[in-house]
Amino acid sequence: MTTLAANKPAYDGKTLDLTGKSGARAFKNTLATVLIVLCFLVALVPLLWILWTVISKGYHLLLDPNWWSQSQRGVTVRRVGGGAYHAIMGTLIMALICAAIAVPIAILGAIYLVEYGKGTKAAKVVSFMIDILTGVPSIVAALFIYAVWITVFGFNRVGFAVSLSLVLLMLPVVLRSTEEMLKLVPDELREASYALGVPKWKTILKVVVPTAFGGIITGVMLGLARVMGETAPLLILVGYSKNINLNPFEGFMGALPTMINQDRTELALQPAADRVWAAALTLILLVLLLNLLARVIARFSTIKSK
Amino acid sequence: MSVNRLLRVGTVAVASLGVLALSACGSDPESSANPGSTSSSSGGDCPKGTLNAEGSSAQKNAIEEVISKYNEKCTDVTVNYNPTGSGAGIKQFNASQVDFAGSDSALKTESKDGGEAEAAAAAKRCQGSPALNLPMVIGPVAIAYNVDGLDKLVVDGATAAKIFQGTIKTWNDPAIVKLNPGAKLPTAPIAVFFRSDESGTTENFTKYLEAAGGGAWTGKPAKKWTGTGAGKEKSAGVAEGVKSTKNSITYVEWSYAVDNKLGVAQVDTGAGPVELSAESAGKALAAAKPAGTGSDLALKLDYATKAPGAYPIILVTYEIACSKGLPAEKTALVKSFLTYFASADGQSSLADLKYAPLPEETRTKVDAAIQAIS
Repeated sequence: MTTLAANKPAYDGKTLDLTGKSGARAFKNTLATVLIVLCFLVALVPLLWILWTVISKGYHLLLDPNWWSQSQRGVTVRRVGGGAYHAIMGTLIMALICAAIAVPIAILGAIYLVEYGKGTKAAKVVSFMIDILTGVPSIVAALFIYAVWITVFGFNRVGFAVSLSLVLLMLPVVLRSTEEMLKLVPDELREASYALGVPKWKTILKVVVPTAFGGIITGVMLGLARVMGETAPLLILVGYSKNINLNPFEGFMGALPTMINQDRTELALQPAADRVWAAALTLILLVLLLNLLARVIARFSTIKSK
Repeated sequence: MSVNRLLRVGTVAVASLGVLALSACGSDPESSANPGSTSSSSGGDCPKGTLNAEGSSAQKNAIEEVISKYNEKCTDVTVNYNPTGSGAGIKQFNASQVDFAGSDSALKTESKDGGEAEAAAAAKRCQGSPALNLPMVIGPVAIAYNVDGLDKLVVDGATAAKIFQGTIKTWNDPAIVKLNPGAKLPTAPIAVFFRSDESGTTENFTKYLEAAGGGAWTGKPAKKWTGTGAGKEKSAGVAEGVKSTKNSITYVEWSYAVDNKLGVAQVDTGAGPVELSAESAGKALAAAKPAGTGSDLALKLDYATKAPGAYPIILVTYEIACSKGLPAEKTALVKSFLTYFASADGQSSLADLKYAPLPEETRTKVDAAIQAIS
């Protein structure tokens, strides 16, 4: 103790005084802060610009209840009226069918990768394939389904074919996010469960998946939001219809992206231009709603660390 | 945990309720509630079902209007039309993906690149019976311009060819001055806009330039533009280009020129300047000769026509349908819809949209061909 005390004055020099402000460091700090804030603002500009344009040009049609409950049957580009019901339903139906196929495969695949296949050759191959699938552009997925569904099997263009190609796009997104979530589940939980004599499958079902549930749902919602705005499969695999068609196995089907595409050449005509902006805003709102839902679910279903 | 579960169930329930609520109240605007037009108004003419069609974007506005009118009469028929382009429409028709196709040109009887000719492939799709080319809509092509203070502009074939070829470069060129005595022509250079995408409009316009240009147009008529100028995508693109650029000119479907409030040039065919109107375009069609035989109504247009009062730059869009070979219920639908399209009632709605109705003589022939479909 005494030796330490004796040494103390040696470190008492002014050079080590960290309480005061050093001009150069304060300057660097301010500079970095300003730069980061500027970058943030620059990144914000396009987002706000897009939102402002779409909202200001599209909101008034959305206030009309007919927009949510009527189709465009019999409404030409020169006439006002009608709604986006057919397109909203088309988008939702195709997205839901896609989710119904993609989500179970993705979640089961992720469980295999994390719980059973860890380190095996098969898991590495699956993981690698998923990486490749992540990089497949939507147009390629659409053409692949076109080749299988129409050229090989000779079926007609229908909404279900769109769902199939969306599966290819949604699968890797959901699988990867589920995998990450399962990896986050601490091994102690699994070990505790095994220690009580619970079999592996029951551990996964009752411990691992519920723990990661919030994250998995978030991944599913984000995957859905991603595929709902896809346009290439819609252009190739189904014709646009202004009429309500709720049967994904027969006939043309409307969807919000193709509704925008349909009238985008007629922007000189006010009724058509209004509808294009309103459809764009509706699509943004749908995707936003899904993202918010994902947030809410994630918030309320996180495991409390207590 | 139970609170979480409750919340989860709650959100899912709210979401699905929203979807259900949405699906419960969907309807067609002013559908069967439309007064005075019950589905029984035309007796047995109205079958039930869905018709899918695809093709030419030049007839999009016309067919949408006709579908809308037709639905007032036959409320139980749904007709979908996808304006993806003539080539795509014919391909989808031949692949049995659609029930009839819209096209800016009749089916080609000779193959271009060693493959199967369009007409042969279409006959195969129709179980061996030939497919019909039914001229249905006349879309006049306007020479649209934007020059301050110039309310009236007259061009003739040779001048138009030179302008679009790029050999006439300014608005006060002697050739233009000669055709427009007394007009206030600026000294500015002419900005030409053309369709950058492959288009039936370009094909028909270049056919006119070749036929009426007196050798001033050096390119071959084609869907792809070979003249001078700046490219814009689709009719909307070129119309927008002219609208936003002073001293510019383009060729575009009449409706786009009118919708964008552009000036439309009169065309001097050698029999005096002709203003573009539904009537003058119809006269040019009446001067056309049939290219096919029997009930095939493919037309050969005379772009160099000197018939008085005929506006020569027109585009005829066809409906391509099977003469035989479709399933019975589809046949009934195709017949019912096309009959209405070719009826005086159906054609009369087109003039407001800046299309020209079929001349009566052609209309009766088309109608007879449709009635022969079985």
